[in-house]
Amino acid sequence: MAGEALRAADLRKVYQTRGAPEVEALSGVSLEVHRGERVALLGRNGAGKTTFLRIASTLLRPTSGKIEVFGYDVDREPDRVRPYIAVVPQEGKPFFHLSPREQVYTYLRARGLSRETAQTRTEESLRRMGLTDFADRLSITLSGGQRQRTMVATVIATEAPLLFLDEPTIGMDPFARRGVWDSLRELTARGSTILLTTHYLDEADALSQRLYIVERGRILVTGTAEELKRSVGGTLKVTIPNGGREAERFRTFGSCVSEGETLSVIVAPERLGELMALAVRIGLTATVGPVTLEEAFLRVVGRSINED
Amino acid sequence: MRTEAERVAWPFRGLPAFFRTEALVQLHEELAMATSMMVQVVLLIFVWILNPGLIGIALVGAVIFSMFSMGQRVLNEAAYIRIDHKANELYLAGPLSAEAYFLGMSTGILAVYVPPVIAVAILAALVIHATVPILLMLAGLSGAVWLFSASIGYVFSTAFRDNRAIWAYSSLFFNVFGVLPPVFYPFHYFPAPLHPVVLLMPPSAATALLQHAIGATALTPAEIVLAVTGLAVETLGLFLFAIYWARRTVRER
Repeated sequence: MAGEALRAADLRKVYQTRGAPEVEALSGVSLEVHRGERVALLGRNGAGKTTFLRIASTLLRPTSGKIEVFGYDVDREPDRVRPYIAVVPQEGKPFFHLSPREQVYTYLRARGLSRETAQTRTEESLRRMGLTDFADRLSITLSGGQRQRTMVATVIATEAPLLFLDEPTIGMDPFARRGVWDSLRELTARGSTILLTTHYLDEADALSQRLYIVERGRILVTGTAEELKRSVGGTLKVTIPNGGREAERFRTFGSCVSEGETLSVIVAPERLGELMALAVRIGLTATVGPVTLEEAFLRVVGRSINED
Repeated sequence: MRTEAERVAWPFRGLPAFFRTEALVQLHEELAMATSMMVQVVLLIFVWILNPGLIGIALVGAVIFSMFSMGQRVLNEAAYIRIDHKANELYLAGPLSAEAYFLGMSTGILAVYVPPVIAVAILAALVIHATVPILLMLAGLSGAVWLFSASIGYVFSTAFRDNRAIWAYSSLFFNVFGVLPPVFYPFHYFPAPLHPVVLLMPPSAATALLQHAIGATALTPAEIVLAVTGLAVETLGLFLFAIYWARRTVRER
């Protein structure tokens, strides 16, 4: 293995379906994922995240541009890339007529792992994902969340150098999601690299060391979650119930969004006192909290939509 | 011991393991296994009621038909695990080769569903007093029909985005290749002008050759050549195309 875990340059993908207009899903995406990193791709539905992941994981051919995994050209040498990657596909399901134990074990064997290694890793992965109690039940009898945990267990057991996870915790309860986060952190600590997509912004915040926001096939922003939160003009969010009609008065403090009667203002800590004083003066109450990644995401993507 | 480069280049990497995976999946589907010979048994009963003297031919036809329908299971399974489970993405974005995925799935299904077919083949052999060359011929032709059917099944499975659409095609293949042509009944019962057509269809070509070999029907030399050539070319051609197609469709365009 040589080079970055993943490097894409000016990647484009245009879907051409007979009888339908062309759809440009990626419009020149360039990004890098360094070895041992956990990187999240965030974006609205249809932004191009899954298209990117499918190209990177050798399942879809790009229209133009270049993409490399560990120095191998993904488009020209997919067979060289495949031993180094593993994928949790979006909406993927385990075989319904295999138990989680059989699913993980047979998958590892199909990837060429020895019996002993496959057995050890299967047990370890099932334990990590909290599946030990259901390990011998057919997947058809499991809940949606348990099936998803089986998919994640299957893929993390590979300990592949580069893991692609397309919405890996969808349908999982909060405990299971945290179990997945811990496992992914452990994997990167041992040298694996992870690129994931998620619609859970708290997940991206807790898990990713860097993130890219994708919108309409383009990268809008890249950086850490903290950088992204700071980029919206403050680190605090003041929520003012019944403040919707007073939005103009608060606009000088920072970005304002009205949702019904409630006004939220992003403000820098040094101007918080001034803002609270104004709220009290005009008879309004306010609560203060940190800017969340979701708040930042909504503003960054919303700004882009307005500009377009 | 192969080197890493050789391992990557080996076109059947992961085949035994994926064969076991698919066989295990099928072994857990008891209901499908229990009903796998239903159509064949019903058709045998029909033949028995209509003309018990034809039961030997019908048993041979049941073996060929079963091998054909086993190949058609590949159509349903490949489409189902691709559309509903995204199993192709899980497995093929990894070291398992596309060839191993196709062949592992096909042979895994074969291994689980073949035992009752062997029982019918033994029964057929007893009824028709089959000689060793006839038994070898039955085995070879059954294998060819299965390979043809599995290949066409896999190739077709990649064309669908909705499982429900497959049921119609699966039923079409089943009836056009297995029920309508002379598979369960004597070849010469079929209208003579259409003989070349059914001799170009692998299941009826195989049964016509077997019926000829056991003296139940008389094929002309030209018909034998047509049946043998058609079966060989179609089976080999489609199998090679399926291998090519399996590789090509790993990546969507």
